[in-house]
Amino acid sequence: MSAAGATFGSGRSVGLGFSLLIVALYVFLLMPLVTIVGASFTSGLMIEFPPQGFSLQWYQEFLSRKDLVDGLLMSLRVAAITAVVTTVIAVMAALAGQAMAGRMAGWFHLGMTLPLLVPELLTAVGLLFFLYKIGLGKTVLGLQFGHILMAFPYAYVSITAALRQVPPSLEEASSSMGATGWQTFRLVILPLVMPGVAMGAIFAFINSFDLYTISLLLKPIGGNTLPLALFDFLTYEFKPTAAAAATLSILLSLVGVVLVQRLVGLQRAF
Amino acid sequence: MTAKTRLRLLLSVPAIVLIFVFMILPITNMIEMSFRTPGTSEPFGPDYTGMHYTRILGDGYYWGVLARSLLTAGLVTVLCLIVSFPIAWHLSRARGLKAVLLYACIVSPLMTGVLVRNFGWMIVTALNGPLNETLMALGIIERPLRLLFTQGLVVLALVHVFVPFMVLPINNALRNIPESLTEASASMGASRMQVFRDIILPLSFPGIQPGMILVYVLAVAAYVTPALLGGQMVSVMPTLIVGELTGTFQWPFGSALAITLSVSTVIVVVTFTMLTSKLMERAKA
Repeated sequence: MSAAGATFGSGRSVGLGFSLLIVALYVFLLMPLVTIVGASFTSGLMIEFPPQGFSLQWYQEFLSRKDLVDGLLMSLRVAAITAVVTTVIAVMAALAGQAMAGRMAGWFHLGMTLPLLVPELLTAVGLLFFLYKIGLGKTVLGLQFGHILMAFPYAYVSITAALRQVPPSLEEASSSMGATGWQTFRLVILPLVMPGVAMGAIFAFINSFDLYTISLLLKPIGGNTLPLALFDFLTYEFKPTAAAAATLSILLSLVGVVLVQRLVGLQRAF
Repeated sequence: MTAKTRLRLLLSVPAIVLIFVFMILPITNMIEMSFRTPGTSEPFGPDYTGMHYTRILGDGYYWGVLARSLLTAGLVTVLCLIVSFPIAWHLSRARGLKAVLLYACIVSPLMTGVLVRNFGWMIVTALNGPLNETLMALGIIERPLRLLFTQGLVVLALVHVFVPFMVLPINNALRNIPESLTEASASMGASRMQVFRDIILPLSFPGIQPGMILVYVLAVAAYVTPALLGGQMVSVMPTLIVGELTGTFQWPFGSALAITLSVSTVIVVVTFTMLTSKLMERAKA
């Protein structure tokens, strides 16, 4: 805390007070995640933190619950398709966006990030009617479209940021040496932006995996995603099985955090 | 425009179609839906009417729920700012491995689903949960507080959901303040309070304003948290809207509620932006 020390912490008590405040705030941030992970390993029969003893019984219980496992598989499948489709469309859009200038570029960027800026509930309500109208109401395909839409901006923003790091001279050099647009992209640009593209895919996957409101309103007949199944589970039976399911979700986000740090670094990514 | 550039712009077509067909059209569609007559066998009727809006505006109950939604989101936004500023300040001054770890602590909750995080608060605030145990051990309360299904828990959980959205833009703004600036003013005899008030706060405003707007807009329309943690006790517009759409299948009325909420939110955000535009200019100068 060098600068904070210089400006804020020259009085010792102020510095100490500030440090305590920061610790308290991080406890606040991490508390819900820590309690879930802790509670999932309890050997007791109730959700509690700190847990009693240690056991993996609730993970076994989770695996024996068809509703939750089906939800998990459905979520993984929808998220995987979302990640692939979103990333391809986002790479194309980011390449186009890079070729724009001035006001047009600004409007384009705003349009592309719209699903992030408009509350999920509104998009979900609009989509509910619209999918019904075009005959995709309560279908897995309709849900899939909703997820692709919501995850798109995350991939687009990551990939656009990566493209900005590529010096334009490289592209010029490549095309002046006779490479076609596709060759330039495949052999020069894509390798350079690959970490950003991978990060975009990770964000899209995790966003889709976590979506709730969209999934609730577009829920296909007979198909639940993990968050929907978990919500139902929590309202009817408040058991550590839910903590085991939630821990898997937290694990996924931690893997995401580590990958993003590896690929581009958290500071540049956020 | 060369042929090559034109070809390149064409790459944006799938994305534009995606956003237009699956977002702009549906939301426009929702406006139309809000003027439909109620349906009997279908979720909506064939004719047009303004009755849903007159029903909402003429009923004190809906005014009450709308007011609660707007005020709760305001409270969440202000609390978010109070919580986020110290975190952002501390983060903006961290370097190296420490910075990476702090980022990880802030981003991990962000990348975990809202439902999962809300569930975490159910455990923390349970009757025999860590919060009650700590407060009792400290002698602050005598018997455990019942927090589930209260407005307070909804606010707490929403603040937790949105803190990262506020920390990141403020952190980016604070990073742009050179350390030499704060050091220089401190060495010229400015007190810590003065440095904070005259330099840090105004210069961080370009991060604060968009952060507050984003958090407000998202908090007003948040559905999961009030549905899970507020239960039947705390009805806000989003839970009401989803109830109309999935429970009673009143699509036109549900749409009218959603549009009333959106218009009110826009009014609040525009007013806020106008009131704070002076502060924004000062930060740019």
